[in-house]
Amino acid sequence: MIACLAIPGFPLRAALRSRPSLAAAPAALAPPAGEEPLIGPVTALAEAQGVRPGMRMGEALAMCPRLVLVEEDPSAAEQAWEGILRRLEDAGFSVESAEPGCAYFETRGVERLYGGLEAALRRALAAVGQGWDARLGAAERRFAALAAANVARPGQVLVVSDAHTREFLAPLPLSLLPLDERRQLELRELGVKRLGELAKLPKAAVAERLGPDGRRAWSLARGGTAGRVLGRRPPAELFEELEFPEAVGNELTLRRAFGVLLDKLLERKERDGRFVRKAAVSARLVGGGSWRRTVTMRDPTAERDRLRHALGPKLAELPAPVVSLRLELVDLTESQGQQLELVQAAGAELQTRLSEGLRQVRASTGSGSVASVVEVAPWSRIPEARALFVPRDD
Amino acid sequence: MVADPGSTGVVRTSRRLNEPQPALVESRFDGTPRLVNRQGVAVVREEWRVVDRWWTDAPVQRRYFELVLESGQNVVVFRDEERGGWFSQRGV
Repeated sequence: MIACLAIPGFPLRAALRSRPSLAAAPAALAPPAGEEPLIGPVTALAEAQGVRPGMRMGEALAMCPRLVLVEEDPSAAEQAWEGILRRLEDAGFSVESAEPGCAYFETRGVERLYGGLEAALRRALAAVGQGWDARLGAAERRFAALAAANVARPGQVLVVSDAHTREFLAPLPLSLLPLDERRQLELRELGVKRLGELAKLPKAAVAERLGPDGRRAWSLARGGTAGRVLGRRPPAELFEELEFPEAVGNELTLRRAFGVLLDKLLERKERDGRFVRKAAVSARLVGGGSWRRTVTMRDPTAERDRLRHALGPKLAELPAPVVSLRLELVDLTESQGQQLELVQAAGAELQTRLSEGLRQVRASTGSGSVASVVEVAPWSRIPEARALFVPRDD
Repeated sequence: MVADPGSTGVVRTSRRLNEPQPALVESRFDGTPRLVNRQGVAVVREEWRVVDRWWTDAPVQRRYFELVLESGQNVVVFRDEERGGWFSQRGV
């Protein structure tokens, strides 16, 4: 069977993890800066007061003056989602992430491990953890599993057998279909409000009126195809993070710090000569919140300059001073064979001796005793702002 | 089964280099140091001011002195005119 894990309003839930008191208040995810002022997911209390996701901000505030707008925390959301996927993978499920808050996995391989389908699904729910109000749907077909997860209550597991799929889907709303708002409105105006009503229409008529999207929606309304779950390859995550003694807003300083992080990451033994396919730079902002940008390289590389040119300009998009900067190698290529050296490179022995000496210093004086001096603002008139001590525990 | 992704990360908490250290300074009527950490000042080699970050919540206003003490030691001290107090500093 295919199982679908759904966590409605995931970006809001992730942003509220650091402000749990707001979970019991009328709150909504604030619109991203520079975009149309439409609010994101809302809490149950806000929904009870008539606030709906996608509402205009002004309308939502008029309807609920106590509404708290929560800034999106993309870095926390991505990390929380990655944590959930990893816990599922640790429990043996090979997951395919559709988007943060929605993932699919096959249960066939683990049913015997946990003693049946229900037990395996319960184990998956437990792996997600507390406080997410996760729900699980399972069916032979992918769309039916998604629909089941969407109608299940928090903490519930809903299994739909193949024989009852069409019966189960029939009373569900059209909003479950991947159709744009215009198409949905068109269908509603034609009197089609439920999946069952769409499924009863002749295929040719739907295709003629709504085009390929409509044909696909019609197929899904009848249960869709079984589909396959393509379990992701768990990312080999390597990261370096630098916490600043005070908030830094100067782009030149940030670029220098970024350069240091990049050098340290590329030097890491765990990279094992592999090239970088996908990297992300993220920051914790002063006053809370976070910022994150991901770059997928057209050609995987381990060249410092190419990575610097790809990620460095993103720092100009930072909306506020940062208290820490983090660089992640999210996806690496497969391991390559290592060419053995016939003759040791110049300085290799000295490097080995130096590393050994530093290791002994660390062993005798403790972690953090060996540090590199990193110039971050050599132009500063304030002497202590020019350089940082960055511990070297590698 | 899922392969071990081998996630590893390093968080480095940095600290400032050449952080000012509190110093015991007695000054003359014109504000120039007379004694630094109970040692007499032989020569005031240089004096300058640093005024910076006045547009932030943490403005900086310092009066620096490069001194030679009677023991022959070179030191740089400054008076923090925003918060009061004397400090010595290296790497100036």
